[in-house]
Amino acid sequence: MVTTLGLTKKFGDIRALSDVTLTISEGEFVFLTGPSGSGKTTFLRLILRDLKSDAGTLKVGGQDVSQISQSKLPQYRRQIGAVYQDFKLLADRNIRENVALPLEVRGVHPDKYTSPVKVAMELVGLGSKAQMFPAQLSGGELQRVSLARAIVGKPKLLLADEPTGNLDPKTARSIVKLLREIHSQLKTTVIMATHNADIVNASVQRVITLEEGKVIKDSPKGKYD
Amino acid sequence: MIRHLKTALLRLKRSPYQALSAISIMTMSLFLAGSFFLLAAGSEAILSYFETRPQINAYFPQDMTPTPEQIDAIISRLKETKKTDVIKYVSKEEALKVYKSLNSNDPLLLEAVTASLLPASIEVTAQSPQDLKDLAKFLKLEESIEEVRYAEDVVGALSRWIYSVRLVGAVLVGVHILITFTVILLVVGIKVANRRDEIQLFQLVGATPAYISAPFIFEGIIYGVVGGFIAWGISYLIILYSMGFLVSFLTGVIALPPSIVFMLELLAGLLGLGSLVGGMGGAVAVHRFLKQ
Repeated sequence: MVTTLGLTKKFGDIRALSDVTLTISEGEFVFLTGPSGSGKTTFLRLILRDLKSDAGTLKVGGQDVSQISQSKLPQYRRQIGAVYQDFKLLADRNIRENVALPLEVRGVHPDKYTSPVKVAMELVGLGSKAQMFPAQLSGGELQRVSLARAIVGKPKLLLADEPTGNLDPKTARSIVKLLREIHSQLKTTVIMATHNADIVNASVQRVITLEEGKVIKDSPKGKYD
Repeated sequence: MIRHLKTALLRLKRSPYQALSAISIMTMSLFLAGSFFLLAAGSEAILSYFETRPQINAYFPQDMTPTPEQIDAIISRLKETKKTDVIKYVSKEEALKVYKSLNSNDPLLLEAVTASLLPASIEVTAQSPQDLKDLAKFLKLEESIEEVRYAEDVVGALSRWIYSVRLVGAVLVGVHILITFTVILLVVGIKVANRRDEIQLFQLVGATPAYISAPFIFEGIIYGVVGGFIAWGISYLIILYSMGFLVSFLTGVIALPPSIVFMLELLAGLLGLGSLVGGMGGAVAVHRFLKQ
């Protein structure tokens, strides 16, 4: 699903990612770990083509991401769902409208996205809060909305950038549990960046560890070091 | 499209003062454009009126009734100059008819004048205003002509005046449109900057630039449409208010008040111009952000 070869990204003189080579297969659930500034977010932003790499190749679903033209970029991004630490929800839209956003921008008629939005919201356990606004929800609920929005378009790849960073441990565990359920139900490839050792160690998953932009460890059933 | 329009209206509602300033400057520019258009159209009508009037009147002596041979001889000599457009003989009786129609409201003047008191004449319209002087000179040399009157290059002077009005109008309107465009760019630009996070999210979930731009373009168009309506309304009110003054000067020269069709055409023009300037302002503002 995701293949990189010598992937490098620099911000001025700082190498955020340096010569990263790895493969993530379709349907995998991978933890991307490492301390702050290790390059986790940069890696996810490169996959989303929110940034452009300086060297090396990055292929997603066999498609060379750096070769995607500006006009084809929206189409490419529609295959990817993303969850962020700060939720990135629109305060002036209710929960249903926030979840429907990826379908709305594709030009899907509101009548036609009622059902997928409802399914996504029920999957994250927020079926009863459709008409509420982000300001009325707790942190955990906001992240659930963010998750529902990420999966409503049935993406092939789900990126989660520190999704538990702003949550208490109990809520964080529930979000990871939800991510696992989504992964097993929808067979979506999931890459979750986190530096929460408890969450990583609580499961037996592939763990890719980054440090100073380099992959220092890639273990199939790893632990957080 | 309805969704984008709703979004644009909602954003306008949320920042009423920015909207007010954008609509005010748009109204001012479109009012200026409309005023110059009306001035140019009015001048054009006046010019057309003068162009269709006889430019030279050559009068026979009051006590003389020219024979058909005399009239034909003068007309054929005039035609030989190849500088005339229309030549018309006006008999004493016809002159009386014209006099009566011009003084129909004054019975005293009508009673005192008979056909014998009025001179017969030849009315000449020149092909070009430059030929008026030569034709007048030519007619003065005719033995049977007693007096020649001509409006020395009224049409030429009017043409030059209309050209100046158009030129000054085009420059002034152009400058104002540019200022309006800049203000719209600034107002929409501020809104784009305020919605940076939202736009970035839209991009990340796969929105196309057209989808992101649409509400901002609609916003600019709304400024243009509202400004256009207000400018048109003000222009119409000023015309109606000035009717008394205008009628006293221009009766018979141009049709007053302007027809509703003409005013609707003006409205369409103002709405079109406003929408174009506003829409382009919105488009450029969001395009600059997306390019970054």
